Amino acid sequence: MEQIGFLPPKPAVLSRRREIVGDLKDLLPEGCLVHEPRSLVPFETDAFVSYRRAPLAVALPETTAQVAAVLKYCHRYGIPVVPRGAGTSLSGGAIPQEDAVVLGLSKMTRILEVDYANRTATVQAGVTNLSISDAVSADGYFYAPDPSSQLACTIGGNIAMNSGGAHCLKYGVTTNNLLGVKMVLVDGTVIELGGKALDAPGLDLLGLVCGSEGQLGVVTEATVRLIAKPEGARPVLFGFDSSEEAGACVADIIGAGIIPVAIEFMDKPAIEICEAFAQAGYPMDVEALLIVEVEGSEAEMDGMLQSIVEIAGRHGVKVVKESQSATQAALIWRGRKSAFGATGRIADYICMDGTVPLSQLSNVLRGTAEIVARHGLRVANVFHAGDGNMHPLILFNANDPEDAARAEAAGNDILKLCVDAGGCLTGEHGVGIEKRELMRHQYTDADLAQQMAVRAAFDPQWILNPSKVFPLEGRPAV
Amino acid sequence: MQTNFTPEQLADPHVATSEKILRKCVHCGFCTATCPTYVTLGNELDSPRGRIYLIKDMLENGRPADEEVVTHIDRCLSCLACVTTCPSGVDYMHLVDHARMHIENTYRRPFKDRVTRNLLAAVLPYPRRFRLALRAAALGRPFAGLFRRVKGLAPFAAMLDLAPRQVPKSSGSRPGTHPSVGTRRGRVAILSGCAQPVLKPQINEATIRLLTRLGIEVVAPAAEVCCGALVHHMGREEQALESARRNVDVWLREIDNGGLDAIIVTASGCGTTIKDYGFMLRLDPIYAEKAARVSALAKDVTEYLATLDLPEQEPKRLTVAYHSACSMQHGQKITTLPKTLLKNAGFTVRDPAEGHLCCGSAGTYNILQPEISATLKARKVKNLEATTPDVIATGNIGCITQIATGTTVPILHTVELLDWAYGGEKPAMLVS
Amino acid sequence: MTIIHDPLSEEAASRIVRAAVAAATPLEIRGGGTRTLWSGSTNRDILSSAALSGIVAYNPAEMTMTAKAGTPLGDISAALAERRQMLAFEPLDLRPALGTSGIPTIGGVFATNASGPRRYVAGAARDSLLGVRFVNGSGEIVKAGGRVMKNVTGLDLTKLLAGSRGALAFLTEVTFRLLPVPETSATIVVSGLNDAEAAAAMATAMSMSVEVSGAAHLPESVCGRFAGGRLPAGAATVLRLEGLAGSVSVRSEKLQAAMARFGAVSSLDVEATVQLWREIRDVHPYADGTARPLWRVSVAPTAGHQLVAALRLEAGIDAYYDWQGGLVWLRMEADPEADLLRRYVKALGGGHATLMRASAEAMAATPVLQPQAEAVAALSARIKDKFDPAGVFVGAFAGA
Repeated sequence: MEQIGFLPPKPAVLSRRREIVGDLKDLLPEGCLVHEPRSLVPFETDAFVSYRRAPLAVALPETTAQVAAVLKYCHRYGIPVVPRGAGTSLSGGAIPQEDAVVLGLSKMTRILEVDYANRTATVQAGVTNLSISDAVSADGYFYAPDPSSQLACTIGGNIAMNSGGAHCLKYGVTTNNLLGVKMVLVDGTVIELGGKALDAPGLDLLGLVCGSEGQLGVVTEATVRLIAKPEGARPVLFGFDSSEEAGACVADIIGAGIIPVAIEFMDKPAIEICEAFAQAGYPMDVEALLIVEVEGSEAEMDGMLQSIVEIAGRHGVKVVKESQSATQAALIWRGRKSAFGATGRIADYICMDGTVPLSQLSNVLRGTAEIVARHGLRVANVFHAGDGNMHPLILFNANDPEDAARAEAAGNDILKLCVDAGGCLTGEHGVGIEKRELMRHQYTDADLAQQMAVRAAFDPQWILNPSKVFPLEGRPAV
Repeated sequence: MQTNFTPEQLADPHVATSEKILRKCVHCGFCTATCPTYVTLGNELDSPRGRIYLIKDMLENGRPADEEVVTHIDRCLSCLACVTTCPSGVDYMHLVDHARMHIENTYRRPFKDRVTRNLLAAVLPYPRRFRLALRAAALGRPFAGLFRRVKGLAPFAAMLDLAPRQVPKSSGSRPGTHPSVGTRRGRVAILSGCAQPVLKPQINEATIRLLTRLGIEVVAPAAEVCCGALVHHMGREEQALESARRNVDVWLREIDNGGLDAIIVTASGCGTTIKDYGFMLRLDPIYAEKAARVSALAKDVTEYLATLDLPEQEPKRLTVAYHSACSMQHGQKITTLPKTLLKNAGFTVRDPAEGHLCCGSAGTYNILQPEISATLKARKVKNLEATTPDVIATGNIGCITQIATGTTVPILHTVELLDWAYGGEKPAMLVS
Repeated sequence: MTIIHDPLSEEAASRIVRAAVAAATPLEIRGGGTRTLWSGSTNRDILSSAALSGIVAYNPAEMTMTAKAGTPLGDISAALAERRQMLAFEPLDLRPALGTSGIPTIGGVFATNASGPRRYVAGAARDSLLGVRFVNGSGEIVKAGGRVMKNVTGLDLTKLLAGSRGALAFLTEVTFRLLPVPETSATIVVSGLNDAEAAAAMATAMSMSVEVSGAAHLPESVCGRFAGGRLPAGAATVLRLEGLAGSVSVRSEKLQAAMARFGAVSSLDVEATVQLWREIRDVHPYADGTARPLWRVSVAPTAGHQLVAALRLEAGIDAYYDWQGGLVWLRMEADPEADLLRRYVKALGGGHATLMRASAEAMAATPVLQPQAEAVAALSARIKDKFDPAGVFVGAFAGA
């Protein structure tokens, strides 16, 4: 059951469908336009499957010039455009609408340049996150932000959502690792922002574009920072008797000035799900688990671990288990990174993304459990604890409309709790369509008006991904 | 993922199975990343997630297949890389099998397409016909270029390209029993196969030599037929099930007469199908249980060899690039065993980059989808050659035929190298 | 006559802005006035954050702080030092080099995105800024961002405000992340390299798993002015390591071994290290009490030395490098040579040159900021218009 509305489709666009398809065909090479109604159905949603709208057409350009041509055309006729990377958004950022042209970057998958002396890689927007690291791994480098969907998600999508990941605790999220973009504005103008030279004076448009959810333009190329791989890395598992103790331990580790590469949290249901998939050897007799990764030389890792073990001891840690081999370390991460998908084995789910100050972790975990219980549902928690970025997975049955409605209501309550605890609605998944109507809980009218005004500076007609991010009520007149 | 089927629809056991499969998909999109056709074409319709959605839509609406759906399902290699990748445990294999069946039952293909498919289904599974066809191909080769330029005839050009220059003499592994050398440690049946003995009889010959030397009695039962994989992947379910039933009968007879420790399969494509007989025949009250027994006994030759504790051999100065066939790594989940066997046998084993990607062979795919197949072959060969191997080893005849047409590096079946390492002759291809 | 407004609250600031809009009086936003680049009309009033001072919240365990925009940087540093925390991006103190006085404020630091040597690995000021409160050109009080590390809720106006130099809005409050002060630090010095060799040495150091947190090259002409003369004679290529003592010594050995092939290697202790990098940060060698043109040039790291080599053939210059060679501090003997400089910057792959200091006449005659591409400039102007439709804030940007 859908509780969040889309913008009503424009009759003037729908009635010209045939003409639009014909015109777009002329702008694109053979095989780069999907328009048969039945073939459009698979594009009706992304990884936020509760909401679905088949688009008017799907354009799959191969070059920046083709992206520009499509945008210019859509701009001229006021046709909404929904950019799409790999369609892995958990907030519905890539869900189309009936009158929209989906602009998919999945054919733009070339790595254009790797520059080790300046430690940068320049890639097309459809390149997957992991393939950047794969391309430079043999030479001792990696690209740091590592969303769990990194196998599939594209760098263009990462920029749109300012994606994070487990290892962002130390290395920062996308915006901190993005040096430049080539992007196409709504009218087809191609601009370049940033580059290998840092910190251009003038407004930080690059910073603004990162995380703008396809509302400001379409990024077609990106230059990102490469980092030299650490000498070694070791994930260590810490098992606790309660989620609250694990949460408090996280706050104490950071409070002590220790910043590991990653601190990930799993509660018992999440441990069971991940172990069933990955057989990583997670301890099964604990209520909560922290995966703490340290890196550096053996001596450095030992030193840092010693301090962490001491802190964990103060929180009654029950199990401390170091990974014994590179294979096991890989399994530990495979299990963690597949957690969402693996949950599909036992139930449908929606995944929340609220972020809270570390001191509030324990409280919010408790509050989340209460909310979910109140709605008569179950929850699994698996998230980036080191930066307070929580991912409660609310489990439900998608074939039961009432259950689905309850799940959505519980999700809203949880996100409000996060905001009230001093946090925010979304740490790394983006607002998308999912959290759009909750924006007023976090922002005042003036706050939102300022953001929308900036948005309008890029796209005065509001045709770029228009049903997303900002509440439908109270938008400036177009 | 939410599904919309009526109780009447769900009364069809095939639909019921597919519904269960669809419910597990959470639409996360991980599968797109490892799908050879998505990586090549960049269109979600040519990815597992896109196909799942097309199939879902078609089945939910009870629609006959249409050209769009058929185009994208046909492009699927059934390599099952998506199944390895999927964290949610979506059984794509049986979903796409159902879709192919549905297509075969509800869609009338264009004339040329029908001719090609009928020809393949009538020739490939039958060794005698296949051998004749290959001889004819030698005469037809001069026309390959012409065929390639005529739309609709590309598959014939592809067939001619793939056909070996010289058709080997007929197999030495005739039906019959090959007694063990020395004390008998076990008894197995070996699948003779259909295309493989015509193209490369050396594979089963090497297998039989190696196993009998190791004290295993090997029986190649008469009356055995093609495993059914080729027609199964074309959606010709009845033809596939008929093959399966005949083979089940043949092997059960062997089990009753002398017992079997395993049914040895030397082509992983066939192995995947035989291991699936239990599922394929699950709705057949007479065969369900028997087929499950057969499936449980089916073993890839490397799986069986791994149980025999082969001694470690002196290192050979030979670098082997191991190409894991999709049916091996994704279909049967056999990933490290063949490499371990090769290493223990003294070979230096290297893994190519993008090992999860299909070489483009995929049964009859290289004939029916020559363009995508050729792109994948080139990518595979490049990755294999980058390891600078002396020889490429793999466990599937389809891959051997495909890759051999793209590289000058010799390519052998894993078991041919093992036979050599454990007392057999050096494979002819390596004797220079 | 110029009136200086120093409101005590956001509400008061809002009233001042509304009144200025009504009276069509331009306002120049000012923090401590230590980094002023703009030297335009005097026909404007000043809106100062000086009275908006004080730390609002300091949460060491979460490594975040919220402070009013006018809080002196010194107060912030003192509070952080007590808990052994710091701003990761090493804000610059340009007073000695620019010959300005005044008290640097935290708002000014963020409004100018002023970032020192560690920027190259730990990000700029904008990367540490988590949230802001501001009064826009319509007098509305707006917040953006928040106080958590990860936040993608809506458009990232925080980034836009960082470095906006008073063109968009009057910052009233900033929330930023902190890092623990490293237990110790050390500097590896490679002596006697020319600029090109130094670039290669720095690239090698940055490619190693030793976490270099500062990579600068100090040619012979400036080297003696650093660290109280404690650097060996000749050009010095300096590489900073920070962290736990045990870890620093392990990495130091590794790095020294790798650098030995480039030149003579020595090291500096923690005390000299702290002094050296502060001086590199604050452009110490060019704090010469003159008005000779001083440029801050940002290019790709491998392009820095090529730029300097090219310029040397055509103008009297002196230069040293930070950020692995990508940040060039360039002092001209006489004329700013803006066109020449910017032509070479463009030819070497692009970047930007900011004129930080020059005689009043030269400042007035030279575009101090790198001109932007037309489409980008137009976009920036549209954004400015969305914050400040009346154009009440006059600042350093075109269109302002």
